Amino acid sequence: MGKGYMGKILFVDLGKGTFKEETIPDEVYEKYLSGQGLGAYILYNRIPRDADPLGPDNILGFVSGLLTGTGSLFTGRWMVVGKSPITGGWGDSNCGGTLSPAIKRCGYDGIFITGISEKPVYLFIDNGKPEIRDAAHLWGKDTVETEEILIKEVGKKNTRVACIGPAGERLSLIAGISNDKGRIAARSGLGAVMGSKKLKAIVLSGAKRITPRNRDEMKRLSSKLNKIVQLKLPFPPGPITAYVGTLIGKMPTQMVQDGLLYKSLLQKWGTGSMNQMSIEMGDSPIKNWKGSNEDFGPKISKSTNPDVFKEREMVKYHCYSCPLGCGGICTMPGKYNGYEETHKPEYETVLVFGGLVMNKDADSIFYLNELMNRAGMDTISAGGSIAFAIECFENGILTKKDTDGLELSWGNTDAIVALAKKMIEREGIGDLLADGPKIAAEKIGKDSIKYAIQAGGQALPMHDGRNDPGFALHYSVEPTPGRHTIGAQLYYEMYQLWKKVKSLPRPKFIYHKDTKYVADEEKAVMAAACSKYNQLFNGAGLCLFGAFIGASRLPIFEWLNAATGWEKSPEEYMEIGERIQTLRQAFNIKHGVDPKGFKPSERALGRPPLDRGVNKGRSVDIEKMMADYWQAFGWDRETGKPTEDTMERLGLNQ
Amino acid sequence: MPYTITDACSGCTACVRKCPVGAITGERKKVHKIDPDLCIECGVCGRICPVSGAILDQLGKPCTFVKPALWSKPVININDCMSCNICIDACPVGCISLSKGAGAGDNHGYPYLSDEKACIGCSFCAIECPVDAITMTAPKG
Repeated sequence: MGKGYMGKILFVDLGKGTFKEETIPDEVYEKYLSGQGLGAYILYNRIPRDADPLGPDNILGFVSGLLTGTGSLFTGRWMVVGKSPITGGWGDSNCGGTLSPAIKRCGYDGIFITGISEKPVYLFIDNGKPEIRDAAHLWGKDTVETEEILIKEVGKKNTRVACIGPAGERLSLIAGISNDKGRIAARSGLGAVMGSKKLKAIVLSGAKRITPRNRDEMKRLSSKLNKIVQLKLPFPPGPITAYVGTLIGKMPTQMVQDGLLYKSLLQKWGTGSMNQMSIEMGDSPIKNWKGSNEDFGPKISKSTNPDVFKEREMVKYHCYSCPLGCGGICTMPGKYNGYEETHKPEYETVLVFGGLVMNKDADSIFYLNELMNRAGMDTISAGGSIAFAIECFENGILTKKDTDGLELSWGNTDAIVALAKKMIEREGIGDLLADGPKIAAEKIGKDSIKYAIQAGGQALPMHDGRNDPGFALHYSVEPTPGRHTIGAQLYYEMYQLWKKVKSLPRPKFIYHKDTKYVADEEKAVMAAACSKYNQLFNGAGLCLFGAFIGASRLPIFEWLNAATGWEKSPEEYMEIGERIQTLRQAFNIKHGVDPKGFKPSERALGRPPLDRGVNKGRSVDIEKMMADYWQAFGWDRETGKPTEDTMERLGLNQ
Repeated sequence: MPYTITDACSGCTACVRKCPVGAITGERKKVHKIDPDLCIECGVCGRICPVSGAILDQLGKPCTFVKPALWSKPVININDCMSCNICIDACPVGCISLSKGAGAGDNHGYPYLSDEKACIGCSFCAIECPVDAITMTAPKG
């Protein structure tokens, strides 16, 4: 009888050209689920302490979710795991698209790659038969070309591809791994790990059945959820969203957010629904985090309002098993033609290439998005590097001599596009910036580090901790730092975990904004709950936007029980999340990474505070928040190291 | 339990050619064999086999030949469909595709049977659809 997972993993040694199938005992799934949890279990035990992230001992894992393919919804996420070349510690990245079920259709919950090939290769798995093939003809090709060539080459209709582009080949530490022509597992620099192994792509063509224990119950739960997902709210035109944000920004109090509202925004516009609203609310950093909403007001940001992106949408894009469809396939704007279509730029991309660098040209954002997708480069980090370079230029640290004549001023669209291309090519100044802003600052010196806005070397996403300190906290305490998809005070509200896990605190319905900045134990408990839940739902392969719908509506615990035949309580599942998070932290400790080193740049913490705009005067007591969080997790509050007792309690001491 | 082939097999190779996962091997005019690790229980071998009792299904029951023109095909009700792509992924022969957008204010793509000839009538698309928007329907005739 099925249990939702496949029960097997594949190990590929590219150095020796060998394959090894391993059966994973049921107990491992009960302790770690699949996905990132299974990945953490394998990597913690098998990557040696001194392994070079770009060397043969690093293991790169492609893992699927436990619930992927079981008839559940929103569960099409795949994850890539490995030792990160950015932090030297735990690395993972999470992506939608179509690859997640393809891993399971080949008969595996995870495919793990070790060793280094002498020449470029790709891995092809045809109905359970793995094969390493030459990729000389693909090296240098972009991700879209690579995918098209490979699907034609293997000649099978149900083929899925994950590949790197030129950025990964050139070992850019901000390179990601793409599937479905531009949906990228972008963070942690794992595209460079794939490039270091000379592995251009994995190509999966399988048709294995994925069998849940109780399919009828899976369907019943999914149908019920779908009725909620398909409820649509009426919305005003796109540019009006900015003024809704202005109103929210000006109010002294705030109401607990219900994810149903955000779900409807995603359904209509995608993540771009927040393009303007976020700036006005103070959620989106402006001008490399030194500006404010007053520098990029509604009249300027109107050029990137949600309708601009929706109008180019030819067809909605749904990842596997998603009933919502926040993505879109768009036409390219005329000025930047040459590509037939592009994935609709996401919020993060619009803001890093928009407000963060003061660029108001939406056409160029479409183009930059496609360039990055094809290069296989993380847009968040690339935008962070560009913003850093512009501020260095503004302060005379970089000059036209350094930039090959580029006038790197705020909002200079042509220079921004030219610099992005240089980063992809690793040409001139682009070579310096292609590993993210922190490494660039270390090479440049001259105190330029203060302009590199990052945590643990990873450029910060477009959510400002001075507006929601929960973001600043999760940027700092996660084993893979600088990530916006795990927790925040806002996320805790939308997850609605207290409705299922009775010991968790219910937030006040209306609260004064000042209270957000008071670091206390209750907030630490809430933040820890976000991390545990996030690890749990990553193990299941669930999308964050599904989780936003709220635990009382999204039947994650019920799905897991129906898929596996287990009878676990929400509390027991939260403990699995706690175990995965603690193991990821233990991975960092094992590899000599100091958790305190992930504290974000001073500017992003409001040190000094902004003197204008919606976040004026706001700062974050990050040291106390980090210590409180570690303590809430049963980790040492001084060092962030999981205590012996905690390791023992979670069964991690074997 | 996978499908199995009995000694009644005539070795005509019809099943080898139809099996979507390459699970069946055997020389012409000799008894064939199904690799139990590869079989996905789609049943096409049983439907295409002209010899009564040569192929047993997952419950050990003998399969019956059905003319390919009479195999059930998926009929997709797009009013219930949520464009989630699950059916496309479930299809072992890749005969379902996503349309380019329904138009008239609805820019969702919907699945459709893009290669009717390739469809083996396995019904995996209907089984896996979480909202039961697919019905397997036998052609009239």
